Amino acid sequence: MNVEVRSPKPEIRKKAETRGRAAATFGIPRSGLLRPSAAFVAATILFSSLGLNTVIAQAAIPDRPEKLSYPPLTYEPPAPDKARVTLKNGPIAYVVADRELPLVNIVIYVHTGSYLQPAGKEGLADLTGYLLARGGTKSKTAEALEERLAFLAAQLNSGIGENQGSVGLNLLAKDLDEGLAILREVLTAPRFQDDKITLRKQQILQAMKERNDESAAIEGREDGFLAFGEDFWANHYSTAASVDSITRTDLEQFHHQWFHPGNFIVAASGDFDRDQMVQKLEALFADWPFKGETPSAIPTNTTFAATGVYMVNKDVNQGRVAMMLPGILREDPDYFPVVIMNDILGGGGFTSRIMNRVRSDEGLAYDAHSSFSGGVYYPLTFSAGFQSKSRTVAYAVSIVLEEMKKIAAAPVTASELAVSKHGFIDRFPRTFATKAQVANTFAQDEFTGRYARQPDYWKTYRSRLEAITQDDVLRVAKKYLTPDKLVILAVGQKDQILLGYPDHPVKLAELVQGPLKDVPLRDPLTMKPLSQ
Amino acid sequence: MAKRTGTHIGDGKRWFAVGLLFLWALPLQAQKVPVVEKHLANGMRLLLVERHDEPTVAGGWVAHVGSSNERLGMTGIAHLFEHMMFKGTPTIGTTNYQRDLEIIAAQERIRDEIRQEERKMRAQYRHGEIEDMLKPENRTPRYRELEKEFNKLITEQRDILVKNEFDRIYNGAGGSSMNAFTSEDMTAYFINVPANKLELWMWMESDRILHPVFREFYAERDVVFEERRMRTDSTPLGKFQEEFNALFWESSPYAWPTVGWPSDIPAISKAQADEFYSIYYSPQNITLILVGDLEPAKAEGLAQKYFERIPRGPKDPPDIVTLEVKQMAEKRMNAEAEANPQVDIVWHTVPFRHRDSYALEILAEVLSTRTGRLYKGLVLGSGVATEAYADQSSMKWEGSFSAGGEVKEGHKPEEVELGIYDNIEKLKKEEVPPEELQKVKNNFAAGEYRRLSSNFPILMHLVRNDGEGDWREINEAGPKIQAVTATDVQRVANKYFTKENRAVAVYTRKPGTSTKTQPAEEKQ
Repeated sequence: MNVEVRSPKPEIRKKAETRGRAAATFGIPRSGLLRPSAAFVAATILFSSLGLNTVIAQAAIPDRPEKLSYPPLTYEPPAPDKARVTLKNGPIAYVVADRELPLVNIVIYVHTGSYLQPAGKEGLADLTGYLLARGGTKSKTAEALEERLAFLAAQLNSGIGENQGSVGLNLLAKDLDEGLAILREVLTAPRFQDDKITLRKQQILQAMKERNDESAAIEGREDGFLAFGEDFWANHYSTAASVDSITRTDLEQFHHQWFHPGNFIVAASGDFDRDQMVQKLEALFADWPFKGETPSAIPTNTTFAATGVYMVNKDVNQGRVAMMLPGILREDPDYFPVVIMNDILGGGGFTSRIMNRVRSDEGLAYDAHSSFSGGVYYPLTFSAGFQSKSRTVAYAVSIVLEEMKKIAAAPVTASELAVSKHGFIDRFPRTFATKAQVANTFAQDEFTGRYARQPDYWKTYRSRLEAITQDDVLRVAKKYLTPDKLVILAVGQKDQILLGYPDHPVKLAELVQGPLKDVPLRDPLTMKPLSQ
Repeated sequence: MAKRTGTHIGDGKRWFAVGLLFLWALPLQAQKVPVVEKHLANGMRLLLVERHDEPTVAGGWVAHVGSSNERLGMTGIAHLFEHMMFKGTPTIGTTNYQRDLEIIAAQERIRDEIRQEERKMRAQYRHGEIEDMLKPENRTPRYRELEKEFNKLITEQRDILVKNEFDRIYNGAGGSSMNAFTSEDMTAYFINVPANKLELWMWMESDRILHPVFREFYAERDVVFEERRMRTDSTPLGKFQEEFNALFWESSPYAWPTVGWPSDIPAISKAQADEFYSIYYSPQNITLILVGDLEPAKAEGLAQKYFERIPRGPKDPPDIVTLEVKQMAEKRMNAEAEANPQVDIVWHTVPFRHRDSYALEILAEVLSTRTGRLYKGLVLGSGVATEAYADQSSMKWEGSFSAGGEVKEGHKPEEVELGIYDNIEKLKKEEVPPEELQKVKNNFAAGEYRRLSSNFPILMHLVRNDGEGDWREINEAGPKIQAVTATDVQRVANKYFTKENRAVAVYTRKPGTSTKTQPAEEKQ
C-alpha cells in the first residue's frame, strides 16, 4: 500500500510503502484477538448507562476551544524502587507484572559496545550481537533453534550497538520456562555456527555496497564525521577487510569478555507473578560458567569540524542539509531549558518556528526541524535540517539561520513558552504508557547511571520544566546557537545548489564564515575518500 | 532501500518432530476486541473501545477516500487534501476570517490567470521549446508578474494568519503523535490526547470536518512536491517502483501513485479541493474511532453533540466501478538502478475480505520469515539470494501478491526469479505439511496479541480495517486464518500463480555506481 503521511516527525514517521516491497507489513497478520481483561468486561457494562447524553447536549458548544473546561487529571509516574530488584549474581532487574495479554517480554541490557572492538576488527561487535540469537547454542543448532522459536511464535533478538548490547525475548507466557532455558544458553553458550558466520559476513559485505546509493545514508554518515571527527571511535566503520578478518575465535572472545551477569541490567514485564519471575531470573543468572571483564569507560575525545560549508555531490533532485553546532550532555544543568528552546525553534514540529517558516510559509521542504539531544556519555550536537529541491537549498538555509539568530536575540513569547512547557508536561504520562515501557525506561536509567545520580529524575521532571523562564530560554539560545561555529553539510547536486533560485539570490558560501569544501564520497568497501 | 529481512536460518530438518508439541495450537476461542459501534443521526459512524491502562485516549477518524477516487490530471489530490485539513477553520488559524476569505478569493483569481500561463508553458514543453516546466527561468513574463501580485497577497494574509494554530492548540494541551496518512483506499487523521481532553478532540475534529478553510493552499502544494522528491525522486528505487506499479495495474485506479504524478501535483486547484471535500468528506463517508480511557456513554454523548451538527451530504460518494481487467500476458521491466541487483514479482490476487485472501496470507507466510521456504531455499539452500520475501496485499478494490529477493553477488536475477517459481510450483503440487501450517498459524495468533498492547496500535488496526472495508475484521480475520486448510493453500497457489497473471521487475546495478570507481591508491 502506498502511504503518504503529513508529518515526518521521527516517532510517527512512516516509510513510504509500495505494493511491490511491503517491508513494513512483512509477515504481520492483519487481525486481532484479545484476551478478556477487566477493562474490556467493564466496557460492556458501563455502556448501558446512557443517561449522560442529555446532560452533555444541553451546554452550548463554545466558539473557541480555550473556553472548554476539563476535569482534573492527576498522574504520578511509577516509582523505580517498586520495580527494582538486585539479583544475587549482580544484575539489577526491573520487574513489572502486566496481566492484560498472555505475553512476557524480557530484555537483558549489556555493558559492551563497538567502542570495545579491537582496531582492524570493526564490525565485530555487530556480528557478535547478531549471531548470539541467530547462530545456535550449545545444545541446539541454529536451524533447530530457529524452528523451535518459530513454532512457539517466540521472538528472540540480539544486537550490540555503539555502547550497549541487548538480548530480548518476547513470547507467550505459557512458554516462559522453555524460553528462559533458551535465553540462558544464548547468553552462556552461543554456538556461532560457522556457516552462519559466513552467511552473515556475506550479507554485511553486500549491504556495504549500497553505502553511497541513498543520499540520506551519505548525509547520516558525513554528519558523524563532521560532528565528532574522523578519529572518534564511533566513526570507525567496518570495511570489507575488517569484516573479512573476523574469526569465530574473535566472536567467542568478545562474547566471553562482556556477557556475564556483572554487566547485565534486566527489564521484565508481562503476564507473570512478580515474585516467581524474580526467582526465575535468579536461576537464569546463577553459576555463570565464565568470568568476564568490566568494560573501560566510553572515550569522549570528540572533535567538532571547523566552521564552513561541506558539500557532497550526489545526483538527486533534492538536497539534504544539516546545520550543526557543538552540543551538551543530558545531565548538563542547561539541558531542560535547551529542550524547551529547541522545541520552540525547530523541535516541536508544526508549532516550531523553523517548520512555520521553511515549510508552511515558503513551501520549501516537507521536513524541516532542529534537534538538540543531550549526550549520555559525550556531548552530541545541535542540528537543524531539511530537504529541499536543489535550487532552493541556499534560501532555506538562510531562513533557518535567521531563526537561529532571532531566538538568540529576543525572548520567546510567553505563549510560545507556555505551549511548549505544557505540551511536555501533559504528554508526560505517555513515557510510561505500557508496563514494558515502565520496565525498559527504568532499566535504561540504571544502565546509564542516571538512576544512581538522579533517582527522582521522573518525579521532578514536570516541576523542572515548569520552572523554566523566558530568560532561561534566551540565555541558552545565546550560549549555544553560535553562528561563528556553524558547520553546514549539504548532500545533492552541487552545481544546482550553488546556482540558487533567481527570486531569492542567496549565496550558500556567504552564509557562514568558513570556506566551502568539497567532501568526496567514500569507497563503500574501504571508507577511504574516492578521488573525484 | 528498506531491508526486508535479517539473516534467516533453517535447513528444513524436522527436529521438532521429537517433541510432543507437534500439533499444539494457541487457544483461538479468545475474547474479541470489544468494539462498540454507534451511528450518529447524520450517518457518521462511531467506534469505541474502552481501556484504562493509561490516562490517554487515542482518537482518529477515517474518510473513505484515497487516491483510487482520483482521476488523471488531479492525481495526488486526496493526499494534498489531507495536508490542507491542518490549515484551520473560520475560527482556528486567523484573526480576521472575513478578510482572510477575501484574500483567498483574490488569490484564486490570480491563480486562474497563472493557470493560463501554465497552459502555455505546457504547450512550450510539448513543442520542445522548454525542457522543464518547473525550472524558474522558464516562467513566462506574465507568470512572473502574476506571481509577484500573488506574493503580495500572501504577505498581507500573514498579518492575520495564526500560524499552525491547529497544531499549537493540541500541542499545548498534551496531544501527541498527531499525524494523518493517505493511501489508495483511505485518508486517516489521528492523535493521542490526555484522557481529560476528550472534549477538545471532539471540538477540534468536528470543527475541521464541518468547515475547513484551505488557506496557504499553494505553499502546501509545494510542500507535497518536496515530499514526492524526498520519498520517490531522490531514493534509489522510488521512481522505478512507481513505474512498475503503473505497469502492473492496467485499468485499476491503483495504477497512479498516491502522492500524485509530477505533472499533476502543481496543477491541482483549490476549486478541485473544494469539490473533493463536498463529495468525499460528508458524514456518511466518515468513521470516528476512539480507544482508551473513556466512558462510552459519555463519549457517545459528546460525539452526538459535536459531530451531529455536520449536515449529511446530499449524495453518497460514488462507487468505484472500474475493475482491473484480466491480465493476458506476462509483463516485465528491466531497470538499472543505484542499488544491489534484485527481483520483484507481483501477481494479481484478491481484495480485502475476499474468501481466498486468508489462504493467500498463509501462503505468503509459508514462503516468508527466517524459517520460511524462500529463505531456506534461496538464501540457505541454493545461495542465489541474500534475502527473500513474500506478501499478500489485500486492498479495498483489488489485491496483489508479491515475492522477491536481493541477488547474491556472483549470481543472476534470473536465478532468484526461477527459485521463487520453483517454490511456488511445489506449493501447487504438494500440500503444506501439518506442522509447517501450524507453525505459521501460531505466529498469526501470537501476532494478534502483540499488536494490541496499547491504545494507539489498536486504533490504527481499527483504522486500517475500517478503511479497507470493515472494522469487524479485527475480530473475524483471526478465526478465518486459523480455518485455512492445506487444501485451501494448494488451491489458491494453482489459481493465482500463473505466468500471464504476473509482472516481473528485474533490477541490476547501474554501471558506474558503488564499487566500480576505486580510490586511486587502491587501483591494481
